[in-house]
Amino acid sequence: MKQITKYTLTSLLLIVALITNAQTVDEIITRHRNAHGELKKWDQVESMKITGRFTAFSVEDDFFAIKTKDGKYYSELKLGQFDVIEAFNGETGWTIDPWQEFTFPRELNKSEQNVFLQKAEFFTPFYNYKENGCEVELIGKQVVDGIDVYAIKLIRTNGHTETWYLDANTYLEYKRESRWVDFAYGVPAETYFDDFREIDGLIIPFLTEKTFWQRDRVLQIENIEFNVDVDENVFTMPKSAEIEKLAFLIGNWGVRVNAWSGRANRWYKADSTSSTIDYIATNLIQEKISFIDFFVQSNITNFGYSSSESKYFSTTYSGFSSEIMMMNGVFTDSTFVLNNVKIGCDTSQASIQIKATYSNITEDSFTLGIEQSGDNGKSWNPWVQLIYGRMKE
Amino acid sequence: MEIKFKYLLITFLILVNTIAGFSQNTKPDGWYQFRGPNRDGISTESLSGINWSETKPELVWKKELGSGFAELTISDGIIYTMTSEIVDSITGFEYVAAFDENTGNELWRSQVDSIYFDVDGWGNGSRSTPIIDENQIYSFSGHGKLSANSLKDGTLNWQIDFVEEFGTTTPRWGFASSPTIVDDVLIMEVGGTDSRAFMGFNKKDGSINWSSENGNASHDSPLAATIDGKEQIIFANGRKLFSFTSTGDTLWTYNMPFGSLTAIPILIDKNKIFLSGVRTPGFIIIEINGNTATEVLNGNSMKNDFSSCVYRNGYIYGYHVAALRCVSVETGEVSWTKRGFGKGSLIMVDDKLLVLSDKGKLAVVKATPDAYTELISFQAIEGKSWTAPSFNNGKVFVRNLTEMACYNLK
Repeated sequence: MKQITKYTLTSLLLIVALITNAQTVDEIITRHRNAHGELKKWDQVESMKITGRFTAFSVEDDFFAIKTKDGKYYSELKLGQFDVIEAFNGETGWTIDPWQEFTFPRELNKSEQNVFLQKAEFFTPFYNYKENGCEVELIGKQVVDGIDVYAIKLIRTNGHTETWYLDANTYLEYKRESRWVDFAYGVPAETYFDDFREIDGLIIPFLTEKTFWQRDRVLQIENIEFNVDVDENVFTMPKSAEIEKLAFLIGNWGVRVNAWSGRANRWYKADSTSSTIDYIATNLIQEKISFIDFFVQSNITNFGYSSSESKYFSTTYSGFSSEIMMMNGVFTDSTFVLNNVKIGCDTSQASIQIKATYSNITEDSFTLGIEQSGDNGKSWNPWVQLIYGRMKE
Repeated sequence: MEIKFKYLLITFLILVNTIAGFSQNTKPDGWYQFRGPNRDGISTESLSGINWSETKPELVWKKELGSGFAELTISDGIIYTMTSEIVDSITGFEYVAAFDENTGNELWRSQVDSIYFDVDGWGNGSRSTPIIDENQIYSFSGHGKLSANSLKDGTLNWQIDFVEEFGTTTPRWGFASSPTIVDDVLIMEVGGTDSRAFMGFNKKDGSINWSSENGNASHDSPLAATIDGKEQIIFANGRKLFSFTSTGDTLWTYNMPFGSLTAIPILIDKNKIFLSGVRTPGFIIIEINGNTATEVLNGNSMKNDFSSCVYRNGYIYGYHVAALRCVSVETGEVSWTKRGFGKGSLIMVDDKLLVLSDKGKLAVVKATPDAYTELISFQAIEGKSWTAPSFNNGKVFVRNLTEMACYNLK
């Protein structure tokens, strides 16, 4: 009996010792959040403007970023020899990254969206992790690079998991293992946090070093301003400069269709119709129009720009003949001229030539003239003329 | 009479010894080739007896230098390296050049090729480090021209264009392999067609001694080492390791689990070779016994990108991507990690690491697995610094893409 009591007492003591020593994941996260400063002060932060120095490929240059409480992010940085712009509205985003061998804006892919969720955070994902729908699991106490850490698994709402290593003494983050991107391709990454400084009672890592593959990226923050005015327009993906030139096409139009009478040597009105032209993607414009030029023509025309060929392209799908016509051309001196080309990889000139000229461009009107040539472009004959006038709202 | 005879005999023996020494391949003194006297990043000099807490590094000189990544090779009071000059956005030249070790003043320069322009913006000019020999310096340009210039005045004695002569394809980011000399044979990774991946040249006139194997030109440099009493040249090319004698006979080959190494193979102990790259696994250690190579350890605790490690007493010191680390070669375990040097470089002098950050900060660190212990650090040079330091006559020499500098550490 005495022995049983002894064992029971020992077991009880062990359990008590374990309870008092072992912290729950919530307790660790609470200490972690407290280590970053008063929660009520964090609650007052709506936005922050970060300036500093960013190192990529061993070259240091200026860095600028905006973060907002609702998960928006915008930054301008130098990546090697190129200027890179990144923007994220909390769900989707865009970037201009000349390393991808084009200079126009593009949308972020899924892997990148996950990266920008991380970038947009006010330094720790544990700030409001429950409200944000994230889950956490305590992996345990470990030693990383000689430092005692708590390893915590974070499961984001998008299903991505991260492992955070919090310094067991300071409860500040030491390391994160997460998915990152290298040239838009998903890769594992390690991020290290250092140089914690206090600003207005908030503790923030001023040094962040990230390694993925053989890449090494270092951000040394120099200054942080809280609650700055944020221009919401920066989160909207801009059009490429070339497509922006075709913005005159966008709208709902009333269209007068003139056909050319060779015998009378003059235009005659063939039809009055309407057209809608709009962006169907950031760098793609589409027109839907139906008009009568003896036969009923129902066309869909897409306008794009090939940066590799430095030319505009259009493809017109005819609902009348079920044929496709491809054209390419340039925009010069307020006139947009397209010529038909062979369809396929060989974009040399087709034998029967058609030229589409957009001219007389104003804010509320433009004229599309379509001409034909039977002598390889030496002479052009008028065919159809469409005069566009913007419809009132 | 007996004393006179004794002196005569000693004089005679000294004379014979001297003549015999000259008739053999006499290796130059100093930091005369890539990664130093033994191509292992280790100086044979001493850095002991210095009170580091009271030491302030003295800038001996700092000079402008054209773009290039070649190390500063030094012998007999003269620095030899590669430099370049840009004329306009599409024109420029690469030079092998000589400078006074004490002043940094240029003694001569000799044009060896047009400049290699790097399309990714990493930096223009030569990537390879020249090697100093008795009378000539051998250099390898970014476009793949192997040149022999007179040490005295830079006169170009002979030159071979690898692309033209051997059908070599220029690797992305240019030719980078550094030449080595074994038994009077100038040995190069060529990457040519028709079994001309590796070649030995007569160093006097550039004629071909031998050629062997197939493989493209890489960015790696060969190790010259004595294993099992045999002097051999070891190339890491593609996913394969090759060992040759100086006459081109293949001693052994080994299929590596990774490829595209840039860091030079490192001899550890007497018959083991450490190889590291940035992919997985990060490193392997192979053991050579009777011309058979066997893997004895692999791990991910050390992943070298372009910077090579040094080895001392059972531990490898080097860059795990961008973190300076000490790793046991017995277990692969990390003894310590230090961040903040970026993708820098390092060499070892005595029992001290000379660590250069990728932004030109130089630190002297104890080469011990106990802990990262920094003895002194200072900003030696500004801007991107991817070239490892050199050490000669108690002084450390550093360069980047625009300048070079010499510091006295004692």
